[in-house]
Amino acid sequence: MECYNCGAKLGKGNICPNCGINVKTYKRIMRASNACYNDALAKAEVRDLSGAAESLRTSLKFNKLNTDARNLLGLIYFEMGEVVEALTEWVISKNYQPGDNRAGHYLDEVQNNRASLESINQTIKKYNQALLYCKQDSRDLAIIQLKKVVALNPKLVRGHQLLALLYIQEGKYELAKKALRNAGKIDSNNTITLRYLKEVNSKMRESNPKKNKNEELISYRSGNETIIQPKYLKDNSAVGTIVNMVIGIVIGVAITWFLLVPGVRRQVQNEAKAEVLAANDTISSKNQNISSLEAQVDELTKQVSAAKGDEESAKNQISSYDQLVQAYAAYSEENIEAAGTALGNVNEEYLSDEAKLIYDTINAKVNAEYITALYQEGYSAYNAQNFEEAIPKLEKVVELDETFEDGYAIYYLAQALRKNNDLETAKTYYQKIVELYPGTERAANAQNYLNIEE
Amino acid sequence: MFLCKEEEKKMINFEEELKNFKPSLEVEEAEQAIYNHELTDMTDVLREIMREAKKND
Repeated sequence: MECYNCGAKLGKGNICPNCGINVKTYKRIMRASNACYNDALAKAEVRDLSGAAESLRTSLKFNKLNTDARNLLGLIYFEMGEVVEALTEWVISKNYQPGDNRAGHYLDEVQNNRASLESINQTIKKYNQALLYCKQDSRDLAIIQLKKVVALNPKLVRGHQLLALLYIQEGKYELAKKALRNAGKIDSNNTITLRYLKEVNSKMRESNPKKNKNEELISYRSGNETIIQPKYLKDNSAVGTIVNMVIGIVIGVAITWFLLVPGVRRQVQNEAKAEVLAANDTISSKNQNISSLEAQVDELTKQVSAAKGDEESAKNQISSYDQLVQAYAAYSEENIEAAGTALGNVNEEYLSDEAKLIYDTINAKVNAEYITALYQEGYSAYNAQNFEEAIPKLEKVVELDETFEDGYAIYYLAQALRKNNDLETAKTYYQKIVELYPGTERAANAQNYLNIEE
Repeated sequence: MFLCKEEEKKMINFEEELKNFKPSLEVEEAEQAIYNHELTDMTDVLREIMREAKKND
């Protein structure tokens, strides 16, 4: 210790050996300063930074030359995020004691890390801006700004405290508590932090009255979540897991059965119906096609038939003309029988008008002679009891002219048939005689024969 | 000044608390802060007292 008057080294006595001044009070002041420094040291060790800072300021008020106190104060300011205050103390300390001073080392450390210093400077500017927002009643902007500040400079106790104050004002007590906890980690016994924390806890108890104070709860953080559970929570994880799984499976099956299955069935049914409808539509269209094709087939068949008919007709026409020519040729050679036969094969329908004229002419002439000749032959054969020969000739005559020889052709034909034991055919001819020549002998005989046969 | 019931319940008055928060010193203000730093201690007071006492003598 040195004398405050002359700077001479002091002994144990209360008088300066050099200038003779009373140094008793001075020594007490020095001891007070040192005591405060020791107190600050103890507080700093338990992270009561604000308490330590207060003690150190008191220490320096007693003795501004207490280098250790000033250096420690700078350190505490630095730890609380107040960098400029820290630099101030260290610069003053270095100024008072240029040599053998720890402050020089601290200043060198800061100057060598300019980027970090600049970053901290920016956070201080943001903090001041946030404070301005608060005073302008722009609390939302202030909160946004302060979140950035504490993210960049997590040691800034005032930043956490101001943020907590804003959250308390907004009623967000959980967030306020979180901010205050962060502040408490840096400066554990800070009065402002403790006061705010008390307010927050009181508010949180008010909003959750069911919460029993005596309830033993433990809370812990898991990632971003805070988990609070009773202390004596028994967690039979294995049994509980199995029971929960079974319950979950049962619920899942029930949901599937009652909700999902009907829906799926309905959907399947709808799909099936749609497919059936589509199939029916296809069948319907196919049926229509089939009908259409069948109609075409019918049409074509008709055309073919018509064509065949036409062909047949053409053939018959050709044949008729051929027979007509043969008939004409036979007639020219006076072969009446051949001409008659040929004329019998002619179909008048296929002849043109001119051909018909020729046919009629030949036919008339031939028929007359033919039929006469045929009748003679038939009659001769009848008379000769040659009924087998007579019948076809007389049938031809009757076919050409039923009334030939005044009905005798038909009469002799009926007789020939009767005598030839073809009674049924004979009956038809007898009946014709009765009808065509009533009152004649032939009709009477025919009637007799008809009565006998019945 | 009449406060609403909600505000009365609060122990913390936002406006009052806000007054306690002062702007932090920025690096640019460090030099001025050093110059303005109050460096009078008890020893200086004691010296002043002694000087006054000698003057009166």
